[in-house]
Amino acid sequence: MNRIIFGFLVSCFFFITACDKDNKKDEFDKAALLQNFADNIILPRYADFKTKIDSLESLFIAFQSNPTEAKFEDIKMHLKACYLSFQAVKTFDFGPAMNTGFKSTIGRFPSDTVQISSNINTGTYNLSTVTNAGAIGLSALDYLFFQTDAYLKLTTIASYNQYCLAIIQKMKTETDAVVSAWSTFKSTFIASTGNESTSMFSMLVNDFCQDWEEAKAAKLGIPLGKYSLGIQRPEYLEARYSGYSLEILEASLKNIAEIYSGIGTNGVDGIGFDDYLVALKKENLNSTIKTNFQAINNSFSQFNSTFETELTQNPTALENLFNTISEQVVFVKTDMTASFGILITYQDNDGD
Amino acid sequence: MIDTAKIRQFFNPFLTVSIAPLIVFRIIFGALMIIGTSRFILNGWVQKLYIEPTFFFPFLGFEWVKPLPGNWMFLPFILLFVSALFFMLGFFYRIASIVLFVSFTYIELLDKTNYLNHYYFVSLIAFLMLFLPANRYCSLDSRLNIVQKQYFVPKWNIGILKFQLGIVYVFAGIAKLNSDWLLDANPLKIWLQAHHHLPLVGKLLQQEWVAYAFSWTGCVYDLFIVFFLLNKFTRPFAYIFVIIFHLVTWYLFPIGVFPWVMIFSTLIFFSPNFHVRLLQIITKEKMQSFSEKMRLTFNKKIVSSALILFVAFQILVPFRYLAYDGDLFWHEQGFRFSWRVMLMHKEGYGRFFVVDSKTKREMELPQQQFLTPIQLDQMLTQPDMILQYAQILYKEYNGKTFYVAGLPLKINKPEIHAEIYVTLNGRPSQLFVRKGKNLVTIKNDLKNRTWLEEFKK
Repeated sequence: MNRIIFGFLVSCFFFITACDKDNKKDEFDKAALLQNFADNIILPRYADFKTKIDSLESLFIAFQSNPTEAKFEDIKMHLKACYLSFQAVKTFDFGPAMNTGFKSTIGRFPSDTVQISSNINTGTYNLSTVTNAGAIGLSALDYLFFQTDAYLKLTTIASYNQYCLAIIQKMKTETDAVVSAWSTFKSTFIASTGNESTSMFSMLVNDFCQDWEEAKAAKLGIPLGKYSLGIQRPEYLEARYSGYSLEILEASLKNIAEIYSGIGTNGVDGIGFDDYLVALKKENLNSTIKTNFQAINNSFSQFNSTFETELTQNPTALENLFNTISEQVVFVKTDMTASFGILITYQDNDGD
Repeated sequence: MIDTAKIRQFFNPFLTVSIAPLIVFRIIFGALMIIGTSRFILNGWVQKLYIEPTFFFPFLGFEWVKPLPGNWMFLPFILLFVSALFFMLGFFYRIASIVLFVSFTYIELLDKTNYLNHYYFVSLIAFLMLFLPANRYCSLDSRLNIVQKQYFVPKWNIGILKFQLGIVYVFAGIAKLNSDWLLDANPLKIWLQAHHHLPLVGKLLQQEWVAYAFSWTGCVYDLFIVFFLLNKFTRPFAYIFVIIFHLVTWYLFPIGVFPWVMIFSTLIFFSPNFHVRLLQIITKEKMQSFSEKMRLTFNKKIVSSALILFVAFQILVPFRYLAYDGDLFWHEQGFRFSWRVMLMHKEGYGRFFVVDSKTKREMELPQQQFLTPIQLDQMLTQPDMILQYAQILYKEYNGKTFYVAGLPLKINKPEIHAEIYVTLNGRPSQLFVRKGKNLVTIKNDLKNRTWLEEFKK
């Protein structure tokens, strides 16, 4: 009897390991997903951001040599383009971006206006120090370019003018570093398809969820007072001085939705998380997530002034948006991540 | 014909048998503890799991077990390392085994975030080893005449270790007899497909039938492997199976040193002769392996009662879940300490809220303000940890002052609410904890967890 059962077990095992019967229809390939991400999403998005920052620098240098009001208006408009382009790259906070601290250098907000003023007054600063972490990046420029007398200050105060250039050039250096590191990092990225917490696939999924969570909390929830007993805190708005906040939020959410579907900057819908879910027979979850993305995207049409104005005039609409975004977190962070079998632990785990 | 005399002999705990299997077990267990501890320290886990966290989740009834401040947390690990070394060498064995047991168990009791069934197993083995004369042969203690050399031990010395291993396997097998595992092949379906990038086997791992084959094989293996190990005819084949099975799990899942613990521990099922030969490599001494009558001094009654107590405890504890209503995987009342290994893929997402009891003003708390990512991950799906977390938040926010439109608002006795969604074994996420309940007033005890939302299969 023992031998019969044993024989059964042995045959089971060899059946499992030796038999290589291909069944194409269920197959999914994470490497192909990562390839699509690298080629059509991450690298072109970085390239776009690099172009935006480069022209920001050249516009500003041109302005420095021969300042005019019109040129300054161009720069202010171009800052928005930089902001929106940045929303498309900040999600990928792993590999080169993580090593250089790219995300916080460019995108940290709100800015430390006291530190900025003190830097301008003293005229000597090292923008890489921790003290200056809140005195750099896009939000520092938002503060410096959108004060009522910004043009006057830029044209009369040399240190003010120089500080703006220093910030732009710091962003340019960081961006160049990340972009050039990606040329060698790309192959590492594509090959890292495991499900352990350190694999690039896991990092991508985690950062994707993290970015959504940040849009919910930092860009929307905190100004809305969700984390402060219902008291609104407009001083925590991203890009408060320019009033670009809502467009930035919209861009951020839209970029995340495109990442989900694997849509490249060329508009082609490549392999994304949606395809992985479908391969795992989770069509319902996929359509729920997509419907939510669509609904969130559509809800922006109801806003027609700045975030700060909407805060006072239309807080209910913002509340609703906050709730829809919160619901979506459950689907992407729990259902989707769990379906992929991604481990968040780096330690031993017996699955209980 | 059943030979009752033979059966009685088989179960007679006081029959004298060779000490060799116990000695080999001591050396193996000590060596694995050394490796395990070194690996833990070198991976930086002391820092990550015991120094970095601000808060801990102690076990019910062990809230008095507190971590040491800062880098002092390395101390129990150093003690563990040194005691494991002494333990392996059989040097001041009694003291070493006490230190090993206490330091290991102390570490495990600090934070249930890090609970693993295998850690519990190690604690139990270390506890049993306290009572066994594993230093009576091939040890520094016997060489230095600290203890007298001994060639034989009563059979229960070996038997209880076999029993403990048997419990782990058989209960792990019984735990797999559920519909998720057998009928849906979950969570293996989720875990295996994630490995589809592996060379050769990768493609196979995203086939559904493979997940079923793994699930059923694993279940049959766990249920019956011990019996094949006990039988001397099937033993060699069974052991090959043990090796293959644990190597596969080691390759596919992040379960650290435990496949090796099981592979080496199960050697205890081999005959005394096998162990004698192993020891001869070290001692170069010819050792008798056949039992002869020898005087063993101990109180048979006390030993018998203690054995019965231990065995009964081991058999009953995993079944305590039967005392609770609802789904075990959902409420987890009676889940731990029951050898429920690799059974669940449970992920949660939760939002916690501090509600001022007077003004009813509420605020959501930022994710990960107080807990490490691992703690957060574990807490969200384990009800008792959710209640402990609510207590932590209560202490943090009680008496805190916030400024509302420039005026101070002191929060007194806040309510802590949570909205938590959980997905279990591939099901769509469903509400786990409903917002609106003050978690601070719910007692963390052994009663039914009626405050959880009902589980929909």
